[in-house]
Amino acid sequence: MMRCPPFRYLAPETAAEAARLVAAHGPGAALLAGGTDLLPRLKRGQAAPDLVVGLTRVAALRRARAGADGLELGAGVTLAATARHAALTPAHRALALAAGGAATPHVRNMGTLGGNLCADTRCGYYDQPRPWREAIGFCLKAPAGCAEPAAARAGEVAGTCWVAPGGRRCWAVASSDAAPALIALGAEVTVCSGEGSRRLAVAALHRDDGRAPLLLAPGEVLTTIHVPALGPAWRTTYWKLRRRGSFDFPVGAVALAVRLAASGEVLEARAALGGVASRPLVVETDALLGRRLDDEAVGAFAEAAVAPARPLDNTDYQPAWRRRALREAVAGALREVRGDPPEALGVLARAAARVLPRA
Amino acid sequence: MIGLGERVGASPPRVDGAAKVTGAARYVDDLQPPGCLVGRTVRSRVAHGVLRALERDPGFDWSDVTFVTAADVPGRNVVTLIEDDQPVLVPVGGTIRHHDEAVALVAAPTKEKAEAARAAVRLVVDPLPAIFTLDDALRAEVKLHGQDNVFKRFEVTRGDDVERALAACDVVVEGVYETGAQEQMYIEPQGMLAAWEGDTCHVTGSLQCPYYVHKALKVTLGLPAERVVITQAVTGGGFGGKEEYPSMIGAHAALLARAAGRPVKVVYERDEDVAATTKRHPSRVRHRLGLAKDGRMLAADVDVLFDGGAYATLTQVVLSRGVLHAAGPYRIPTVRIVGRALATNHPPHGAFRGFGAPQTTFAYERQTAKAARALGMDPVALRRLNLYRDGDVTATGQTLRGSVAAHPTLDRVVAQLEQPPPAGRRTLPQAPHVKRGRGVATYFHGSGFTGSGEERLKGQATVAVAADGVLEVRAGSTDMGQGATTTFAQIAATALDVHVSQVRVAQPSTDKVPDSGPTVASRTCMIVGGLVDQAARAVRSKLEAFAAEVGLAADDPARGDLPALARRWAAARGELAETHTYRPPAGIRWDDQTYRGDAYPVFGWAACAVDVAVDTDTWEVVVERCVHAVDVGKAINPTIVQGQIDGGTVQALGWALWESVQYREGKVLNDRMTNCIIPTAIEAPELETLLVEEPYAHGPFGAKGVGEIPMDGPGAAVASAVEDALGVAMDELPLLPEVVHRRVRAGRAGGAA
Repeated sequence: MMRCPPFRYLAPETAAEAARLVAAHGPGAALLAGGTDLLPRLKRGQAAPDLVVGLTRVAALRRARAGADGLELGAGVTLAATARHAALTPAHRALALAAGGAATPHVRNMGTLGGNLCADTRCGYYDQPRPWREAIGFCLKAPAGCAEPAAARAGEVAGTCWVAPGGRRCWAVASSDAAPALIALGAEVTVCSGEGSRRLAVAALHRDDGRAPLLLAPGEVLTTIHVPALGPAWRTTYWKLRRRGSFDFPVGAVALAVRLAASGEVLEARAALGGVASRPLVVETDALLGRRLDDEAVGAFAEAAVAPARPLDNTDYQPAWRRRALREAVAGALREVRGDPPEALGVLARAAARVLPRA
Repeated sequence: MIGLGERVGASPPRVDGAAKVTGAARYVDDLQPPGCLVGRTVRSRVAHGVLRALERDPGFDWSDVTFVTAADVPGRNVVTLIEDDQPVLVPVGGTIRHHDEAVALVAAPTKEKAEAARAAVRLVVDPLPAIFTLDDALRAEVKLHGQDNVFKRFEVTRGDDVERALAACDVVVEGVYETGAQEQMYIEPQGMLAAWEGDTCHVTGSLQCPYYVHKALKVTLGLPAERVVITQAVTGGGFGGKEEYPSMIGAHAALLARAAGRPVKVVYERDEDVAATTKRHPSRVRHRLGLAKDGRMLAADVDVLFDGGAYATLTQVVLSRGVLHAAGPYRIPTVRIVGRALATNHPPHGAFRGFGAPQTTFAYERQTAKAARALGMDPVALRRLNLYRDGDVTATGQTLRGSVAAHPTLDRVVAQLEQPPPAGRRTLPQAPHVKRGRGVATYFHGSGFTGSGEERLKGQATVAVAADGVLEVRAGSTDMGQGATTTFAQIAATALDVHVSQVRVAQPSTDKVPDSGPTVASRTCMIVGGLVDQAARAVRSKLEAFAAEVGLAADDPARGDLPALARRWAAARGELAETHTYRPPAGIRWDDQTYRGDAYPVFGWAACAVDVAVDTDTWEVVVERCVHAVDVGKAINPTIVQGQIDGGTVQALGWALWESVQYREGKVLNDRMTNCIIPTAIEAPELETLLVEEPYAHGPFGAKGVGEIPMDGPGAAVASAVEDALGVAMDELPLLPEVVHRRVRAGRAGGAA
């Protein structure tokens, strides 16, 4: 079986200490929470940290607290625990669907919400064992966040992206389920470093660069996810495209949150797409404001929403199918939040219904 | 005395079940002899080229690494199977023919060191132009095999001149059908462990056919038969994928162990296994079917092309089975079937459950569906008009004599469809964008080896009173999870009239069990099980005679206690072994030259109906109902048989809807379970599996083969159902959503998809 390379392992008891250890060690250090993202990458030779800082002993990261202003989830709360958290209201449905629909039960029981937000981008030319990547002469995306033990790493970064060989950037795909959902819910995160902590919107956590998608400084540790309380007028959902109703990463996803007036007009809206760029794509929603969600508005919004999406040939499915199916997913998600019955929605809504236990 | 719950026809628990669920079963990777080294394979990484040199990094510490190349092969550097064309290791100066070909081997004390050593070997290769498509192979501008790249050609003809017969038909339906490669995706990857004891080589591993490995290793190692011992470890699935490559991997382990003077274990990584070992042959079948206005099938002209990949492996036998099934289970007076397997620079395609029949079944059952539409007939009625009955004559001129269940299986499916569907099944909503359709398929599958294969093979099985007094079944047939051990135990226990737990099934090892022939071709239960039955009866009569000889009175209850008698025999006389050798039933004739005669001893029969819902927003296909009736002759253990059919059905649905091995320039793009996906329990529909028992006079208790037939037909039923739902031809598999979308767009544009 594939093996992890050897590394030193430290398990501090506070996030600040973890941040200090990583900062002091430099780029050869990696953070380990549930391990469902990092460990496969270690086995595939995509990371070779000489120091792994485990977060499992940081009890604070596993706490969740519900208050009047919303929910504070420690970054170490598992995806499974997030999906079924008692403090989630129906208005948080998008988060429950995203966390509950990621991967498999085993992965959701190990993988954490913070880890999912920080998960590396994915690409068919990169998420391969080392001999495979070696055979194509590697690609633009470097083994991330690790020191370069010279011999092993030599020549592992080529000047070519095999997805778009003419270009100079890496197109690896943001594959977090939680990130688009949290953006739609208007969530923020707290990150701490040795010097202190700062709070930023989830939407500000990523940039559109497949090589280094995370906008965190080395040594910053994501500690808390702040999910605002949303009143009953909010309706949210998350639709995900993937080959099977289990296991697979999103190859396109939409998270949607709208606040509707009693008369049906949209008062507020937020939306984000997953799986179609190197970061979650925040969707412009102004066109919905003040409108009722009739079929014309739904169709026009879906068309506009997917316009900036750039599905390329680096995930499962063909790009053309992904774009078309994502447009249908956006439309379906809007029909769901406007109140169409589940029976009238498509395959994806069914998949979502299986994820959530009946209320 | 045997209890009713133990006999053939009942479903006692699997004899291997407890060890497997408790983790006590020992797979090859669980075996850890002292001093065992880890072996890894250096691979080519080009699809076609000449290997000029192998260079070892001089800066690397090779002191504890064993390094083996083709120069270290003591015997012939071939993986002996049919054509002896595949090297065990490509020699320097030799030709690399696929992207993941083995060129050298390393062994080291740890996996990390072995992997580092593998990476420290550099290959100097002069690339050659390569072939990746059937059309390029046919053009033969690059020649990989002979002058025409044809590994093998078969032709079957029956009746009149086919062109004349088609010209006289009222309706001729024509289509071209394509199917993709499929990975077996057994849960346990390939792995072999080798250790030398003096001049004798012991190889243990995950394998289907110990005597295939034995035959190959004698040649590679240059050893006489008795100095090579092959043993099957507990094996986690095969599906045909462990017929060909265990011989090569066993040879690799043996060569490393010989060079290192220590045991060496080679266990493949999943990606290595998916990329380098055999998959189902991609195919293209052109089919013309002529019918009379009333629906009678009159003529069929079938042209079958298989992508054989880089080496011959078992391709010609796979093609043979594909060709022999290509006209379907229908009375057709005039038939011409031509099959060709072509050489390409893909890794070899080879044995996989169904063995060529799924590809040709897909074509003829899609044709049958199209013919029904062309004639305006009900697809079930069209089949009922043409399906074989007892006494009909097949395309090879075989007269069917008994055990023909084409109609009973279809009747069972039709009756089941009138019942309400199972509760809790997965469905799509009733909505305008959801389209629904139904597809039906009827098909057959020859049990046992093709033609004179079983006669040539002369498979053997032994039932013995072992030296320790235990009743023991000794067969070279392997259990890879399909239940052969339990099936044999039940057959022997029933014949001996003892409890299943009083029969031991020996671990297959070439120094302990006879050559029963390979565990393939839906033959294990029917052929080898029959030998076990006969041998067990012979042991029983010897023990009963022994009881009389030692003076037990006729009414002494001890006379009926066979296990006690066996212990007594062993104490007094040592071992008692009864070995039986397969003899074909009288009247079976086959001519390999003309490809005419009795192609198989008997056929299994099946019918499948599939209801699908297609979401026209995403073009995803949901199987809402799958009714599958399979004739097995006699279900020795109905639970195991149903498990075989359920598993085969899901594997067939996977081939139809999800499983797509993607090659680019001869390299597998999706070589792991995260991207080379198979359906999970969530995707599988509620299966309605129906057992039909049309006994075979020469099978044990009437049993026929069951392992492969469930794989053959559901693919065609799914495609016909999607076509029924959308009104656009669905002539390829897998029907991924993007493929359905492409076909619908092309269909709307009025062109061929």
